[in-house]
Amino acid sequence: MKYRLKADGETSEIEVSSTGNPQGLRITTADKDIEVAFQRISEHCLWMVVDGKATKAFVLPSSEGSHVFLAGRTYLVQDADRLAGQTLRRGVHDEAPKEVTPPMPSVVARVLVNKGDPVRKGQGLLVVTAMKMETTLAAPFDGTVKKIHVSINQKVAPGDLLVEIEKEVPADD
Amino acid sequence: MFQKVLIANRGEIAVRIMRTCREMGLRTVAVYSEVDSRALHVMEADEAVFLGPAEPSESYLHIAKIIEAAKSSGAEAIHPGYGFLAENPNFAEVCEDAGLTFVGPPGRVIRDLGNKPMARRIMASAGVPVIPGMMQATEDLEGLSQEAAVLGYPLLLKAAAGGGGKGMRVVSEPEAMREACLSAMSEAEKAFGDGSLYLEKQLDTPRHVEFQILADRHGHVVHLFERECSIQRRHQKIIEETPSPVMTPSLRETMGKAAVSAARAAGYVNAGTVEFLIDRSGKFYFLEVNTRLQVEHPVTEMTTGLDLVREQLCIATGDPLRFRQEDLFQRGHAIECRVYAEDPENSFFPCPGVALVHREPSGPGIRNDSGIYEGFRVPVEYDPIIGKVIAYGETREASRRRMIRALENYAILGIRTTIPYLIDILNSNEFASGALSTDFIERHFQGWRQSMEHADMAKVAYILHDLASPVKTPKGQKVHGWPTPWETLGEWKL
Repeated sequence: MKYRLKADGETSEIEVSSTGNPQGLRITTADKDIEVAFQRISEHCLWMVVDGKATKAFVLPSSEGSHVFLAGRTYLVQDADRLAGQTLRRGVHDEAPKEVTPPMPSVVARVLVNKGDPVRKGQGLLVVTAMKMETTLAAPFDGTVKKIHVSINQKVAPGDLLVEIEKEVPADD
Repeated sequence: MFQKVLIANRGEIAVRIMRTCREMGLRTVAVYSEVDSRALHVMEADEAVFLGPAEPSESYLHIAKIIEAAKSSGAEAIHPGYGFLAENPNFAEVCEDAGLTFVGPPGRVIRDLGNKPMARRIMASAGVPVIPGMMQATEDLEGLSQEAAVLGYPLLLKAAAGGGGKGMRVVSEPEAMREACLSAMSEAEKAFGDGSLYLEKQLDTPRHVEFQILADRHGHVVHLFERECSIQRRHQKIIEETPSPVMTPSLRETMGKAAVSAARAAGYVNAGTVEFLIDRSGKFYFLEVNTRLQVEHPVTEMTTGLDLVREQLCIATGDPLRFRQEDLFQRGHAIECRVYAEDPENSFFPCPGVALVHREPSGPGIRNDSGIYEGFRVPVEYDPIIGKVIAYGETREASRRRMIRALENYAILGIRTTIPYLIDILNSNEFASGALSTDFIERHFQGWRQSMEHADMAKVAYILHDLASPVKTPKGQKVHGWPTPWETLGEWKL
């Protein structure tokens, strides 16, 4: 999985892949290829071992990116891809569940419907992948595809509105 | 000893005072404003009295409300902390008139020493060296110019009722004098209600070294050694330490004696600090007396093993000091860093907000005097000090490294703080060598920017957090689609 991350005005590309070892990940950048082991200690706290060196980091996501605390310093790390694709409307938790949103940060692999298609509750709308695992996102209710906000290979995250479904109004009895 | 003490303050100092009260078996009363209803100091106290709106004049500075709070809660004493009403002579007098014990010096002493030229006169008559300059304040521009011509430039224009750098101007040549006087006068008038000014010679790259004193009601006065507070930004101390790297045993003895003489001459009672400036040649001069417990008192506590708040309460209740000067000694080295909710990359603009992550450092020799907790909304209405970290070590170098380790482990997110700035100062060769002076920040840390050396690691942390996040779905919304591996894998670790 590729990330394009920006910190202090400088953007770099980082590739993440699994190693044979379930305890770690491989991180590859332009000039580094390292193995990383990590454990989530709590909601915001990560324990990471990079190149044999152990560090504790705290990460606080926000609307402008994530604030990362490391060794006394705080950095604002932003996902350059998501910054560029700002057309995605972020879902708001209070809104009625008529939104289709990924359960984890992933990449759109396939779109299964078109604008205007009628869909039934549970019908597959699009497929996203993360860490080599695929997930199909389904329609939350009967309706019509109103708008598809994403395209293939686009990076998406929980809260993003991927497909808008216009709910079918039940006929009066 | 009293049964109940009201702490007329907030934040870290209120918490700190209450801790000692609790240890001494005293009941505590907190006072709070609208924005502090869930503040740490309110939760720390046995009782809390609501004062009113956030605005200090309606709450923490409102004398009548505070006296009423003491009466209604049955508190017998009031500890003013620092700032707010701590150096307000009226408040001290109103307390005494109301039959409450003010934990500090008598109002008369606060008033005398709060008038800077008067303090200078008191010191001079006690044989304490004072900075060359005027011994009376005036609003007469012509008179000031004449004095300036005699004193010579560069000089410092100061407000008689001043403090915290307000109403102060550096004047380097005669042409700038008039303008400086007018602006200093108006600033002083606005801040203190008194626009009168006096002049002092500006010393060449001085060091700020102050002595802690304790005086009981029976005429015993001792000093608890010095603190060096030369690292200041716009006259605000940010890093303090003891012992001073520049101190020698004989200088300490001489200055200590001068500090004690100063306290006696003023009729001082309770805890106070006599501030001095030491010039390049090693000569020291009286600067002013702070008639309160100071922010940086913990470094003295760490190296002497004493609890200054405890001493204050004992003195206030009429006990004599339990020690003589020859019983006191210092051991090791302590450094304090003040942590402010300010953005050091943006002119130190205050950064109020919610401290969404707040993890204090710990370990040997680390003391935390914090006024907030994780999830607390730091208000905008007050001084943005979040707290202090104090590091104690056997030597200066040991405590310096200890402080760096502590700050690197002090995780605060959600508000910007001065922590990275402090770390860089402590890491600098200039600080490590002990070559301090009051222009340290100006000379070495103007236009500071956080180093990006950990930016790559921060990006890795971002990615790991992204991947490790358990999925938070909006309330009431089921995850659509097939169950994801994150749900089906069950217990697993990376």
